[in-house]
Order: sequence, then structure tokens, then C-alpha cells
Amino acid sequence: MPPTASHGNRPPDSPRDLPEVIEQERLPAGLEKLPEPLVEHSQRERLLNSMARSCAKKGYGATTIADVCEGAGVSRATFYDLFKDKEDCFHAAMELSLADAMGRIVAVYSPDKPWATMVRDAAAAFLELLASRPTFARMALVEAASSGDRAFELYASGKRVLQSLLERGRDDPVEEVAIPSSAGRAAISAAESLIVGQILAGNSARLPELLPDIVYIATVPYLGQEEALRCSREAEKTIPRVDG
Amino acid sequence: MPQAGGGKRERWRPPRGRHRLPPEVIARSQRERLLEAAVRVVAAKGYGATTVTDLTREAGISRTTFYELFEDKEACFLAAYDGAVDALVRRVAAAYETEEGWPRRARAGLAALLEALAAEPEVARLALVDVGAAGPAAQRRYRAALQRLTPFFDEGRDFAPGGRNLPANTSRMAIGAVAGLISDELAEERAEDLPSLLSEVLFATLVPYIGPEAAAREAGEASR
Repeated sequence: MPPTASHGNRPPDSPRDLPEVIEQERLPAGLEKLPEPLVEHSQRERLLNSMARSCAKKGYGATTIADVCEGAGVSRATFYDLFKDKEDCFHAAMELSLADAMGRIVAVYSPDKPWATMVRDAAAAFLELLASRPTFARMALVEAASSGDRAFELYASGKRVLQSLLERGRDDPVEEVAIPSSAGRAAISAAESLIVGQILAGNSARLPELLPDIVYIATVPYLGQEEALRCSREAEKTIPRVDG
Repeated sequence: MPQAGGGKRERWRPPRGRHRLPPEVIARSQRERLLEAAVRVVAAKGYGATTVTDLTREAGISRTTFYELFEDKEACFLAAYDGAVDALVRRVAAAYETEEGWPRRARAGLAALLEALAAEPEVARLALVDVGAAGPAAQRRYRAALQRLTPFFDEGRDFAPGGRNLPANTSRMAIGAVAGLISDELAEERAEDLPSLLSEVLFATLVPYIGPEAAAREAGEASR
């Protein structure tokens, strides 16, 4: 059995129920949804959308409060009524993104579903959310690293939830194979890297097409190659066709 | 470029005052000093907090010289980044080539990578962690740096019996897994422990190509 360093960011060995994990990570699951870009109801939503747009355009570091206000058509005074500073606004936008993502994953989650089906459904829901909200996707996945510890911690919590979902595969791994305890974390990083690469390349709309790849990398440590390839081919059939 | 165990070693500097060295030689040495300074300062302060003054002071060059060499802080950081990545990829390639058979080659390359990063934690942080905070251009450089590892992983496709059936992005994802495991370790300030990560990183590299059983066997051997 390969040695395993003890990791502060690793969930416990025994998999817990997903909603329980989300609660322990203090993530608000599904209480809020990202605003539809074309129907922004409140000044707050406009500011959060504007923050995401500005981050997508010039990065978090170069974004100013003036940019955010101007993009939202909201006064500086109103900004400060709602948020303490730039980081606070970014954090709120991150929280909203994560709440929506977790909500969608919880919606497809069921302890009774076969594990591989759930992994596929959760990955599909996540990719579709990212594709439908490209500016928020970019902000949450690309900018979280550069925007302070609070937002980064939020991002890490989201990853841990996905990881605990994957680690249920440990219940039923290929017989007598010593899988390192980092296998789930590694698979999440693999998918993350592929997704971020597509976002940076400007291909957010095509993220759902990555589903077969992601299903493969997420399931192969636990199911073996043959079964993971079968799941991957099945997943390919479920991708919604994009015209053009 | 940086070498294992470096840090305090003296570098050659052109003599101060009047001298007859050709200007391009002097410029090159100033540039190298500046790039090394950028690695140290960004590792210590973070990219956002680093100023051009920090860089010129650490490198012992004037502000005028700085702006003759680079347009701004970002350009200097990106050049330092490319230099650090070049050195890392060269070391990985050299170790990889010493072995026969893809799993062994992958193991040798990964071991060299982990040892190089452990020997120079500041380079490691720059290459994998700080780069995320240095803006969109730096993030694209990071992606490009990861892409440079692709040929080492793509060989896994040729080696694996069913390699042609694997998903198109298998190598990209395996590289992402390796980078993720290393970044997690660096984020917890455990750069010096990186070599002990070999069996986990090797498993993550091999598993999509040769499956969990064979990958676990190879990873088990690596931990001995």
C-alpha cells in the first residue's frame, strides 16, 4: 500500500452523506441561484454580475470598485451600503456561485443511485451550470486563487464536497487494489485543470462536451479501465447537442 | 538558471566602475540577477505586494536598467517564470530519458520533478502557486507550462494496450492531477516533503493509462 501523507484538506475515510458534508463545509446549498444575466432583479445582483464580468475581462487584481459600479450602473454609495470593500463583494459573488453549484449537485444526488450514475449526473449538472454562466464560471474557477484567503477557502470547501462524492467509490473498488487515499482528490484536480483550460481558451460554451473525459478520469481509479470506458461512452450519449 | 541546493551561492558579477565588458554581456548578467531576484521576492512577498523597487533592490540594479530590460513588473515575472519552467522541464526530460518502458520513465521523471521542487521551494511556489495570483497572462503561461509535460504523458497512450480508446483529454487530465497533488502539498507549506509524494503522484499519472491494478503495483514499488 503506498504511503499516504496526512492531509488537512482531506475528508475523513468513511464517506458521509452529501448534504451532511455540504453543511459541515458551511456551504449554503441551493438557497440562492445565480442571477440570469438578462434579468437582474436587484442592485446587489447587478453588482455581483458586474464583478464577475470585470474579473473575466481584466482579472480580480486589476478590477476596481469603480469598474464594478460602472458595469452595474450603481452608485459608489450604494456599493458601500451593500459591501464592505472589493473583496467582500467578490466573496459574495463566490458564495452565490457555490450555493448554486451545490444546489444543482444536491438535486441530482440520491444515496440510492448507483455511484457511477451519480458521478455522471453531478458532473453533467456542474458543466451545464458553468456553460450557462460563463462569467461566473471564470470568476469562481480562475480568479478564486488570486482574491484572498476567504474566497479561496470557499473554493476549497466546494472541492472537498465534490471529493467526498467521489470517494464513495471506495465502498466498491476493484478487488484488492490498494488505491491511494488521494485518488479522489487527484481526480478532482484532473477535472478542474481540464475545465479551467477550456475556460481560459474561451470555450466555456462547450464545457458540457467534456463530460465523457471527466466521467472516465473520475471513475477509473475505482472501477478499472474497462468499466470506466463504458461509463464514459454512456455519458457521451447524454450530452445535449449544441447546434452550430 | 537555478540549481538544486542554491540560494546563497555567489554569482559572478561584472566588476563595478569602468570596465571593458561588452554591453550585451553586462545586460545579460543584470537580466539573470533580476530574474533570480524576481523568484525570491515574489516567493517571499507574493506577486501582488511585489514592487519594481523590491526587484531592483534585491537584484542590485538601477530603476533605469530595470526599465531597459523589462516593460513592467509583469513582464519581468513572466520571464522569470519561463526560465524556472525551462529548467524544470529540462531536468524532468533528462531523468525520463534514463529509463526504459513508460511506467519506469514516468516514475523517473516525476521523481526528478519532485526533488527539484523540494530543493527549491521558492521556485516551486512561483511555478505552481503564485502564478495563479499574477493575472490572466500568468495563468496562460501556467497552462502552457503544463502543456510542455504532455509528450511525457502521451507516451502512456502508446504504451497502454487500449491506448487509442482513451478519452481525448487523458494526458491533460493526468497532468492536472499531478499538478493538483503537488499544489496541495505546497499550499500546506510542505515543499520539502514532496519526494515522499512519489507513489501517489505516480498512481495518479499511471491509472488512466494502465488501470488501478497495474498503477497500484508500480506505485507500491516506488514507495519501497
